[in-house]
Amino acid sequence: MTQKTEPFFVGYLKVPKGLRSFLLMASLMFVGGFLAASLVIGATQDDAGKAGFRFDYGRQTVTGVVELKPYPLLRVTKGNDRIAVGHTLMLTGGGKAGVMDRATPLHGKLATASGVILERGTLDMLQLRGGKAGLKAAEGEASIPTSEPLGKWRLAGEICDGKCLAGAMQPGRGLAHKACANLCLIGGIPPVFVSSKPVEGSEFLLVASADGGPMLQSLYDKVGQFIELEGELERRGDMLVLKIDETSIGLAK
Amino acid sequence: MSVKYIPVQWNKNKWWYDGIMLFAVVCYLWVFIEITPHILNHESPINAQVHNARAFGSCAFLMLSVILTIGPLARLDNRFLPLLYNRRHFGVMTAFVALAHAGYILDWYFAFSKAGKYEALLFANTSYTQLLGFPFEAFGIFALLCLLILATTSHDFWMKFLTPPIWKALHYLIYAAYISVVAHVSFGILQDQQNQAFPILFVVVACAVVGLHLLAAISERKKAGEHEKSTDGWIEVCATSEMNEGYAKIAKLPKGDRVAVFLQDGKLSAISNACAHQNGPLGEGKILNCLVTCPWHGFQYDVTNGRSPAPFTETVPTYNLAVENDRVLVDPEANQPGTFVEPLVLSKPKGGS
Ligand code: FES
Repeated sequence: MTQKTEPFFVGYLKVPKGLRSFLLMASLMFVGGFLAASLVIGATQDDAGKAGFRFDYGRQTVTGVVELKPYPLLRVTKGNDRIAVGHTLMLTGGGKAGVMDRATPLHGKLATASGVILERGTLDMLQLRGGKAGLKAAEGEASIPTSEPLGKWRLAGEICDGKCLAGAMQPGRGLAHKACANLCLIGGIPPVFVSSKPVEGSEFLLVASADGGPMLQSLYDKVGQFIELEGELERRGDMLVLKIDETSIGLAK
Repeated sequence: MSVKYIPVQWNKNKWWYDGIMLFAVVCYLWVFIEITPHILNHESPINAQVHNARAFGSCAFLMLSVILTIGPLARLDNRFLPLLYNRRHFGVMTAFVALAHAGYILDWYFAFSKAGKYEALLFANTSYTQLLGFPFEAFGIFALLCLLILATTSHDFWMKFLTPPIWKALHYLIYAAYISVVAHVSFGILQDQQNQAFPILFVVVACAVVGLHLLAAISERKKAGEHEKSTDGWIEVCATSEMNEGYAKIAKLPKGDRVAVFLQDGKLSAISNACAHQNGPLGEGKILNCLVTCPWHGFQYDVTNGRSPAPFTETVPTYNLAVENDRVLVDPEANQPGTFVEPLVLSKPKGGS
C-alpha cells in the first residue's frame, strides 16, 4: 500500500524527485542486462563444424555411371584433380530438390555431371547445374560397379538430410533443424546417417530402406533424433550405404 | 491542467519509456548480430539467417519475460509502478521482434522447396505424437498469434469496444503466449544445445518470472488476510489511526473484489479498487487535486461518487462506510457505479453509543 512518504508517479506529470534515481537505476540495469544477455547468448552458440559449398574449388565436371538406388549417385569413372576415379558422388539439385527425374533416363549409363561441391570432412555431394548442363549422357559403354556387402551392424546416431549436413546450412542437423531436414528429404535429397562411432572408417552412411530403395516415409519421424538401429552395410566405391531395418529403430540411451 | 484530462496519450514520460526500451533492444540486437560473430570465430560461420533468427528470438523471449515481471514487481514495490505505465508499447515492440524471428526462420528453414513456405510449415514435420522431435514451431506460431492479437487490440479503442473486463480477460493471453514460448524453446533449440550457457540463462529467467508472480501473490494474500469480518457482515478495513490523508487502505471483500477506502480532508470515502480503465489498483493511487488518481495511467475519480471529472464518463462503484470502536468498516454490497455517498467524518463514530 502506498505510504505517505513515498513519491507518487502519474504518467502525464513530471516524475517526482525521489523516484528519479530509482528509475534511472532500473533503466541502467535493464539496458545493462540486455547487453550482457546478448553477449552471453550470442557468443556461446555451438560451432557446427567446418562445412559448406566449395565455390572456391570452382565448377567440378566429372563422368561416371549413374545409379538410382537408393538415391541418384554417380560412380566416377573419369575424375579430375579433386574427384578421384572410383569415388561415389551423391547428386542433388538446387534448393531442397533431388535429381531423380533427371537421373532416371540415365540409369546404368555413363553421364557427365557438373556443378558445385558441398563438403563436410569425408562427406561430399555434388549440386548439379540446371538441366542438361548439370547432367547429360556421355559417350561410351559402362555398367554399375558391384557393391561389397559388409554384414549386419547395430549403430547409434542421427538421420540427417545429406545436403544441409554437408554444409548447405550451418547448423544443418539436430532437432531444431528437423522440419527443414524433412523438407529436404521430401524433396528427394539423400538422407545420411551420422554414426556416433566411425564404421569401416566413415561416420557418414547413405541411408536406404531394407530393400535398398529410398528411405521409408515412416522414418521422417525419426529424423534429427539420436537413435539406435540395425541394418545391412554395403560398400559402393568409397561410399557406405546402410540398409536400415525399420523394425529395429529405437531411441538411443 | 487540461492535459490531465487526456491521460492516455503521448507525453514526455512515454517518450522516455519507449526510448529506453528501444535503446536496450537495439543494443541487444547490435551486439548479437554485429559483435558476437567475431567472438565466435567459427571456421564455417553460422548462417546469417539463423544467427539473426536467434538474435531476434532470444530478444523477444527476454522482452516478454521483462514485461511479465513488471506486474509482480510493481505489486511488491510501488516504485516499479512507472514501468507499468507504458507496458503496452513494450508489448507491441515485442510482437514485432518476434515477427522478425519468425520471418528469418520461415525464409530459411522453410524456403527453397517446391512447396510454399507457409504450406511447408504445416507439413514438413508432423511428429505430433512424440516429445523428441515434436514440431515445436507450433508453439512458436501460437505465441506469435497471441502477441499479434494483443498488439492489435492494445489501443484504448479496443478496450472501449470490447469493454474493460473482456479486454482484460483477452490480455491474459500473454500468459498463454509465455508458456508457449517456453515450450517452443524447450522442444526446439534447447534439444541441440552443447554449450549450456543459454539453457541456464533461459531456466533462470523463466523461473524468475514464475517466482516473482508467486511472491507477489503471497504478499497480496497476506495483505488481504489482515482484514477480518465483523459481526454484522460488514468488513473491517483497518484502525482509523492507520488512515493517511490523501491515501487509501484496501480491503478484500468476500466476493473477491477489493475496496479502496480513502481519507480526504478528514473524511472517509470508499470506491472500488478496480480502475474502469484497465482494472488498475486505485487504492494504490493518491488523491491529487481532490481526485483519486490511478497509479497505472492516471485516470481520475471523485472519491465521493466514483465518477471521472467531465468530460470523462468513467464510473466505478462506491461503498458505504462506518466507524465502530475506532475501526473502519465497509458494507460489502457495492452501490451502483457513480452513486454519491456522503463522506464519513472521522471523528463521529457510527450510531454513537
Ligand atoms: S488508469 Fe489505466 S488502469 Fe487506471
